[in-house]
Amino acid sequence: MPLPTAGFVALVLVTIALIGLLVLRPSLVAARGGRILAFLSLFLLPLVVTGLGTSAQVEHSKSTTFCLSCHVMEPYGRSLLVDDPAYVPARHYQNNRVPRDSACFTCHTNYTLFGDYKAKLRGLRHVYVNYIGTIPKDIKLYDPYNNRECLHCHGGARSFEANEVHQPIRAELAKNATSCLECHDKVHDVHGLAGVKMWKEKMP
Amino acid sequence: MTAAAPPPLIRRLRVSGLLVALGLAVEAVTLLWSHPTAFLVFLGLGGLLVGAGVLVYLFAIATYTSPPSRPG
Repeated sequence: MPLPTAGFVALVLVTIALIGLLVLRPSLVAARGGRILAFLSLFLLPLVVTGLGTSAQVEHSKSTTFCLSCHVMEPYGRSLLVDDPAYVPARHYQNNRVPRDSACFTCHTNYTLFGDYKAKLRGLRHVYVNYIGTIPKDIKLYDPYNNRECLHCHGGARSFEANEVHQPIRAELAKNATSCLECHDKVHDVHGLAGVKMWKEKMP
Repeated sequence: MTAAAPPPLIRRLRVSGLLVALGLAVEAVTLLWSHPTAFLVFLGLGGLLVGAGVLVYLFAIATYTSPPSRPG
């Protein structure tokens, strides 16, 4: 259990213990100390715990495990294990160019819970569609992939800046006028994974 | 002889305590599971129960009237 989760569970147990004390000995509220106990255990601590829990849940949702826990995302997880450096996500994942435990979030920073309110609503809709609605055959990004996600790491890197192909279009890349994916176009390609050689069969 | 019913304040505090404890337990359990459904249950069930418990607590203290003092 990670430390924040352990701390959260400990805080929940303390709060429940205080509530138990109050429920079993309600006469405590007759005294000032008992009323403070009631305020702490029935108002302040529950709100603090729920706030901390929400923050921990949002942190959880950055994890690769979280993203790939929906069946429809499994091929995208497999595409990270392709034994072919032409696959951009696979190359990044396998060579630790993105943290493996938050690989999806690193390149899709404006997705679902992390974007604006629209993105958050879309995230809730995804859960609805996953269980009740009809999952589309082709999953597409809502907006064209933003170069910002690439330049966050590559921008300023010597290998990127000194590259002869990048130099003449550097300003266009920064303005998102030319997409990085115009040249680096082998991305997840989930429909072409059958028969492709894999680096590993499962996530390390 | 039957036991007297607890005063409304105590009854409401007990209900509030039960709701909050249940909600916190739900929240703690969902945090051990990294899945979108866990997030929904955390907010939709845990958050709802905690919120309801807090509201019952606020209602209990807002509607509490202290017993009249004995003439002396």
